[in-house]
Amino acid sequence: MKKTSKKNSKGSIKPAKDSRNNAQNPKEVQQEPVQQEQSVDIEKSENTIEHNTATIFLTGESPLVEQYAEVCASHHYSVKLQWNIPPQKENKFLSPQISIADNILSSACVALELTNIDRDTKRNNLQKLDSILPDTTLILSSSITVSATEQASWISRKHRLIGFAALPSFVEKSLVEVAPTIYSPKETMEIVSRFFTTLGKNIEIVQDRVGLVLPRIICQIINEAAFAITEDIASPQDIDIAMKLGGRFPLGPIEWIEKIGVKQVYAILDALYRDLQEERYRIAPILKQMALTGSWWTKDET
Amino acid sequence: MINHLGIVGAGTMGTAIAHLAALKKISVQLYDVNETILRRSLERIKADLRKLVNLGKLPPEELAITIEYIRTRTSLPDLGHCDCILEAVVEDIRVKKDLFKHLDSNTKSSVILASTTSTLSITSIASLTRNPERIVGAHFFSPVETTELVEIVKGQKTNVETVERIKEFVISLGKTCILAKDTPGFIVNRISNPLLSEALRLLGENVAEFEQIDRIVKAIGGFPTGPFEMIDQIGVDTVLSQMQSLYNQSFGDTRFRPYPILQRMMESGLLGRKSEKGFYAYEKL
Repeated sequence: MKKTSKKNSKGSIKPAKDSRNNAQNPKEVQQEPVQQEQSVDIEKSENTIEHNTATIFLTGESPLVEQYAEVCASHHYSVKLQWNIPPQKENKFLSPQISIADNILSSACVALELTNIDRDTKRNNLQKLDSILPDTTLILSSSITVSATEQASWISRKHRLIGFAALPSFVEKSLVEVAPTIYSPKETMEIVSRFFTTLGKNIEIVQDRVGLVLPRIICQIINEAAFAITEDIASPQDIDIAMKLGGRFPLGPIEWIEKIGVKQVYAILDALYRDLQEERYRIAPILKQMALTGSWWTKDET
Repeated sequence: MINHLGIVGAGTMGTAIAHLAALKKISVQLYDVNETILRRSLERIKADLRKLVNLGKLPPEELAITIEYIRTRTSLPDLGHCDCILEAVVEDIRVKKDLFKHLDSNTKSSVILASTTSTLSITSIASLTRNPERIVGAHFFSPVETTELVEIVKGQKTNVETVERIKEFVISLGKTCILAKDTPGFIVNRISNPLLSEALRLLGENVAEFEQIDRIVKAIGGFPTGPFEMIDQIGVDTVLSQMQSLYNQSFGDTRFRPYPILQRMMESGLLGRKSEKGFYAYEKL
């Protein structure tokens, strides 16, 4: 198969005429003034990302925080983490490089904010990170349910925040969607790219939009499956079988919901519906019920 | 048990099912109005069987024996003795309604009449017949040889016995069947729709380039094929008509509203793999 376009080989960053606006559609000319003459410089901070003993600070929701902590730990970082709400189960499976932090670690080389569900907590976390971390420290923040630009508007050093897709159970993949904001200088993006390279990931730079690419597609698939189940088209387990055998899906929609978590799925669909304000993003009522009650039909129920 | 299978329509789908049935030693009456199409269909089956022999999956002596199970026909009454007649003609509701009306009034009521439609309603296809209880959907997926699933679609009036018999037949062909209600897109086309239609919207809204979306869906989502590669493979016109059918049958539910990109591509002859250019460019077939 011959591809029509050679641009954007895996992991490469789109060239931008204006180094500050590499996030934007190349067809549009950006005239948005950029606030500060400032850039993120990880080299100057105490820890550099290539350094063996560099520490990453993670904050956000369980199990996303633990999952990302393990990815960082397996790539030789030491990790400090903080939960929005600590998980009820003992975290006995955390690797030895990971420890629980009481406060934000100001010497961290990169901070990851991993909250998709609770918007107020996310805002609070980001503001705290912004006030405690040195100006040169990069904040990578999951931007599935709130755009990175909106998140940057919550903090004062806007140039240092970059959005990315942190979706539970998809953290170990070799590719990650990254969404710069209009404030993101090119230098920050280069650091983001280097950081993800150290985690064994290539990056795909996409526009800063709620839902990004894969979370939007997968959650809409799940939503359609939920409508089909509500209408009794087939049983949940038959839908999974049909999609895997007939639709060449790697997992069925019900399996995805179990892996990602119904609250996450609901939060993403809710954000899409609010952002796009179109009836086609209306959420299947059964998903809301499940997100509220945390329950799911049992596998052997038909 | 279905020992005698009739197939109406010797296109890609009819040909593939005839091939599959013959390998399972089911006698097949393959009907088409056009003799050239029948001849091509039989040549295709022979070529595919030869491939199986070369791969060591079929003993050489079985080739001629297998071909003997298939008889080509240009007269519909020749299908009269079949236990089951499978329709695989063009996806046009008027053509199918008339065909089923004709089959229904010219066959014994014990004969199962099945449609391989991927988008049309079984209830609607059966609407002109006197015995709609024996009419059922058996939606095979392309490529038939390698896709394990067949959706069995129960129309409003299809009876349990018909469903059980067609299930047994499909299982005897080595496939897995899932029972679906007669609703637009059944299961697979309906739930696959967001993959293609969200991908088209993401492209249209400039969230990412189509190559990026394909890479993301494959590398992160774990799909073997990206949505734009998929559209090119199936054919831009086919995908668009499936989406339109889903939208019309659901009386304009916005979840199924097609996105204009495919319409423009179709109008400019960018049909995908078959026209050497769709989203991607391809070598000549």
